[in-house]
Amino acid sequence: MTTTLLDITGDVCPMTFVKVKMGLQRVPPLGTLAVRLKEEALKNVISSLKTEGHRVTNVSREEGIFLLEVTKGG
Amino acid sequence: MSEADFKELKKGGMMRQAEAGHFSVRLHVVGGRLATPQLRAIREAADRFGRREIHLTSRQGVEIPHVPQDALAALKEFLAPSGVGVGVCGPTVRTVTACQGCRVCPSGVIDSPELAKAVDRELYGKPVPHKFKVGISGCVNNCMKAEENDAGIKGWIEPRWEAPACTFCGVCQAVCPTKAIATSEDGRALIVDPTPCIGCGDCITSCPTGSMREKIRGYRVFAGGKFGRRPSLGRRILGVLEKKEEAMAAILTVLDFFREHGKPRERFGDTLQRTGFPALETFVKERTGLP
Repeated sequence: MTTTLLDITGDVCPMTFVKVKMGLQRVPPLGTLAVRLKEEALKNVISSLKTEGHRVTNVSREEGIFLLEVTKGG
Repeated sequence: MSEADFKELKKGGMMRQAEAGHFSVRLHVVGGRLATPQLRAIREAADRFGRREIHLTSRQGVEIPHVPQDALAALKEFLAPSGVGVGVCGPTVRTVTACQGCRVCPSGVIDSPELAKAVDRELYGKPVPHKFKVGISGCVNNCMKAEENDAGIKGWIEPRWEAPACTFCGVCQAVCPTKAIATSEDGRALIVDPTPCIGCGDCITSCPTGSMREKIRGYRVFAGGKFGRRPSLGRRILGVLEKKEEAMAAILTVLDFFREHGKPRERFGDTLQRTGFPALETFVKERTGLP
């Protein structure tokens, strides 16, 4: 299954979460969405994802930018 | 009317106005909450005895201004059946302020209005060396400004790190607003420093693996804050308290300290400048056994 990449490094809250939510709509259940985001967006994006039943399955970091792998809830 | 009479009225929440012969009547409100029948009674009272005006005070209180002196007793009598009492002024424990708390606010950690009611029941109007204000914030967002009160309470989450699922992804450290989380020297553990930790729980909310968990969801006590002419912020005392009863015991004992060490007309923050905060903390710990 291919992983879609979503870059929200240029966005601020609440657009960060809106874009992630829209991105997940294009992913099938249990599919993966990779999200590139800045540190400032981490808390709100991750807590919203958890609330909505998705899982962050991997986190990596490069030059201050975080890359989250999000598995869509079933 | 003599000055002594005016003072007596002021103690009972009836404050002389700039306009001679008129009073602003302070009502008893707890935690900023009034039932709608009470509000209707207050409106009716302002229509009958005042000038159809109500003043919302800076500390969640309600006052009816422009009440003629000869109508004060009738106003009090009119409000009594609805459960609206008159307020207090002078060297007493004043209105206990509170936010909406965890029953209403999604950020709420504690039930602030319930705690406000308990504090009010025990302490409202009780004599102290100088005015004494209690404010209760349900979480670290601190809408009720705990540090601006003589005694403040804040809802608080103390985090605990659990090793097994942690991937050391760095999210908790990145989101921590006070940089209270560090990696151990050998890189195998995360350490939460309680001194800079502000109890927000952001590390727990953000942790992708559930490795950051709630250790205590409770109460943090602040003492010695005030505003007015010479503002100073209260400081936190004691550890994170787990139960409402412990928070109550802490406030009651803080007040005992003020009664024993405060001078007449000296705000509690100034008393603590004299005695030092450690003296208060030792006093409260010894009397209550709290951590």
